[in-house]
Amino acid sequence: MMELALEPFAYNYMVKAIWVSALVGGVCAFLSAYLMLKGWSLMGDALAHSIVPGVVLSYALALPFAIGAFFAGMLAALSMAIVKQRTRLREDAVIGLIFTAFFAAGLLMVSINPTAVNIQAIIFGNILAISDQDINQVVIISVGCLIVLCVKWKDLMAVFFDENHARSIGLRVTALKVLFFTLLSAACVAALQTVGAILVIAMVVTPGATAYLLTDKFDRLIVIAVLLGSVTSGVGAYASFFLDANPGGLIVTLQTLIFLSVFLFAPKYGFFKRRAAANG
Amino acid sequence: MDSLLSFVAEPLAYGFMQRALLMSVLIAVVCSIFSCFLILKGWSLMGDAVSHAVLPGLAVAVVIGIPLAIGALIAGLFCAVATGYIKENSRVKEDAVMGIMFSGMFALGLVLLTKIETDIHLLHVLFGSVLGITNADLIEAGSIAILCSAIMLIKRKDLILYCFDPAHASVIGLPVRLLHFGLLILLALTIVSSLKAAGIVLVIAMLIAPGAIGFILVRSFDRMLMVALSVSVFSCIVGTIVSFHLDAATAPLIVVIQACFFVLAMIFGKRRDTAKGLLNAT
Repeated sequence: MMELALEPFAYNYMVKAIWVSALVGGVCAFLSAYLMLKGWSLMGDALAHSIVPGVVLSYALALPFAIGAFFAGMLAALSMAIVKQRTRLREDAVIGLIFTAFFAAGLLMVSINPTAVNIQAIIFGNILAISDQDINQVVIISVGCLIVLCVKWKDLMAVFFDENHARSIGLRVTALKVLFFTLLSAACVAALQTVGAILVIAMVVTPGATAYLLTDKFDRLIVIAVLLGSVTSGVGAYASFFLDANPGGLIVTLQTLIFLSVFLFAPKYGFFKRRAAANG
Repeated sequence: MDSLLSFVAEPLAYGFMQRALLMSVLIAVVCSIFSCFLILKGWSLMGDAVSHAVLPGLAVAVVIGIPLAIGALIAGLFCAVATGYIKENSRVKEDAVMGIMFSGMFALGLVLLTKIETDIHLLHVLFGSVLGITNADLIEAGSIAILCSAIMLIKRKDLILYCFDPAHASVIGLPVRLLHFGLLILLALTIVSSLKAAGIVLVIAMLIAPGAIGFILVRSFDRMLMVALSVSVFSCIVGTIVSFHLDAATAPLIVVIQACFFVLAMIFGKRRDTAKGLLNAT
């Protein structure tokens, strides 16, 4: 039994997949604590889809994927800002419009030049077959984000909860917001490698929302979210060895199941507790 | 002129291209009509959510042997209803709940589809395969598309009022709950009819772009509908024919053409931008 449970650890690629997934899952979960408070879930989804053409192009040109992803992300953010400023469309429509257009452009590029890149790897993640070079990029991005977040988490919290207050105590609100979105895009680039473009949204929303149902203190919320994010990601990658299924799919299914159980059974904000409280 | 004619006629010599063209025009019609309501209601994320959530429905439909369209419809509606229910009963914001539900369902669908024996090709479900449409597909998706389009056009006055101002709609005695679920069912049906041709991911673009173009160009809803319809149908025809010559994927090309139209509309439609809104015109 024990031998069977330890079997994945005998394979180098599995060990890598597990720890890299856990690292990326933790970073995304850290950001999710902020994202879900603001109602910006669509942003995470949009960024993950918008960077696809950049990733395709950099693989085609044999550049590091992070560079292309970064430029595509910036271009998408810029386009959104321009469209928002020039039209009276609602923000959600603008975001939906831009990210689907970028994503379609990425797919079109793949269909014209199919040998350059494996489309499945971008859409569903590629953590089991990730190259060492890509691992280096993912690790640098994740550790960088984590360091910045650990230093700046209180400032970001002040900005996200009450901008006016943050401004009055001398924080540079706009700069911090730009910093947050830069971190978010970087985390999406890393998560693209583990769970794929479509499922990144779960990595940057679900752990934070789950933790939000469990605690009222923001520092605890971050700790719970990060733990949930990295444990589910590591376990999902580990379980993919036995279930022979897509690791990204397993990670996100696991995160969603945990969210649903917390929604039902959370001690203070759970469904049953609220129902009991409502009935007297 | 001759070369233009042969540019268009050459692809149409093939049966699969005729079916592809007919199919893409049908979904262009139904998606562009729905996109007008979607833009007004602010349901872009809802379109995103429902379309991703149909994936496990396809897997389950294969296992228990019911038509794929039914499984997809039920899964899409389940996502929308579950999102509403969880939002009502917890303190998590609606957009977060929606993101959690649809990504969770998509992930489950992904795992299920890799575990069961089916002839569903995952990439075709995601990005469509309009060139592989059979006559049976055409009849099934076409009848759903025509039915939805007819309902939306006939009931458009009630739906517009509900999208603009649910409270007002309720005051003047419209069945608001029925309209809400009716619109949801229409959304799910529109997505189901477009699955084969556009796929789960790109149908979102077909559901946003035409309406957005109409919205920034004209003021009245009926004109917005006309603009959306023409742009969408034109993009689909051009996209299908050009993709044949370029040997490129059809659905992404259609979406990119629509995006180009949006950019043009934004550049040339700026002056009318100060319009107060569409409400007066309805």
